[in-house]
Amino acid sequence: MRYTEQVTSTVSKPPMLAIALLAVVFAFGLFIVGYDQGHLFSIVQGAEAYEELYMHEMTHDMRHAAGFPCH
Amino acid sequence: MKTLLFILIVLISGALAGTVHGIVNLGIVEPYLDQAIGIENQNLFEAGKEEDTPQFWAEYSAYRDWQKGGQVLAGAILGTSIGALFGIVYAFSRQILPGNNDVKKTFLLAGIMWFTLYLIPFLKYPANPPTVGDGETVVLRAILYLSFIAISGFGAVGFYQVYKRLKQNIKVLALVGYAAFIGMTFVLMPPNPDEVTAPMDLVNEFRIMSVLGVTVFWITAAVILGMLWHKLRPDSEISIK
Repeated sequence: MRYTEQVTSTVSKPPMLAIALLAVVFAFGLFIVGYDQGHLFSIVQGAEAYEELYMHEMTHDMRHAAGFPCH
Repeated sequence: MKTLLFILIVLISGALAGTVHGIVNLGIVEPYLDQAIGIENQNLFEAGKEEDTPQFWAEYSAYRDWQKGGQVLAGAILGTSIGALFGIVYAFSRQILPGNNDVKKTFLLAGIMWFTLYLIPFLKYPANPPTVGDGETVVLRAILYLSFIAISGFGAVGFYQVYKRLKQNIKVLALVGYAAFIGMTFVLMPPNPDEVTAPMDLVNEFRIMSVLGVTVFWITAAVILGMLWHKLRPDSEISIK
C-alpha cells in the first residue's frame, strides 16, 4: 500500500500574551535601570526608600554609561 | 508560534547581551566614572562636607566595588528589557526584513533600533559622567530623553508605513521625511538644562566609551537572537498530514 505524507511548515505570528509579557519586562527593566528613584523599594520600605535610593545606587554606573539622565 | 520558546530566547539573548555590555563597561567606562567621582569627592572635601581620611577612602572603595558589581547586574536587567523590545519588533518584522538568514535580519534590525532609539537621542542628549548632572533637573532631563526616544522610535515606525505605501522609485522620500522630522524635533526640543562644568576631555572620552558600550550591546544582542532564532525557529510550526 502506498501513501504520501505532506509536511507543512508554517510561520505563525507571535501570540499577544507573549507580546504583553515582553512589553511588561521592557517597561519594568527600563524603569528600574533608567528611572527608579526609590519607587520600587518604597513599596516595602516606605518613604525611607526615597532617601536610601538603593536601586538607583546599584544601577548608577550603568545609568550613566547607557546615557540615562542622573544626578 | 512556540510561545514559551519565543519568550525564552528573547529574554536569554537580551540578558546575555546586557551582561556582556556590563562587563565591557567595567573595562572601558569605569575609569572615566572613577575620574568623575574623584572630582565630586574633591568638591566634597573643599566644601567641608567630607574629610579626606583613610576611613573615607576605605568606605568609598568598598562602595565603588559594590557599584561596579551593580554595573554588570544592571546590564543584565537593562539588556533583558531592551532585548524584550528587540524580540517583539523582530517577531513582527522578520518576514519583511531583507536577508536570507536570521543573523543578517537581526543585524539590520539592531542597526535600525540602535540608530533611532539610541544614537539620535544621544546626539541631542548625550551621556554625561557624574559631576555633570544637577539633581534638581533630573526629572526634566528624564522626561526630555525618554520623549526624544519615543518620538524617534514612533517616527521611524510611522515613516516605515509611508515607505511601504510609496512607489519604488520614490521610496527614498520616506527616509527624507524621517530625517526632516527628526531634524525639526532636534531643533524644537529644549536643550539639556545642566551646564557642563567637568573637564571636556573627560566628558567627551566618557561619551565615546558610552557609545562603544551600547554598540557592543546591540551587536551582541543581534548575534545571539539571530543565532538562537535560526537554530530553534520559535515561529515555525511543522505539521505532517
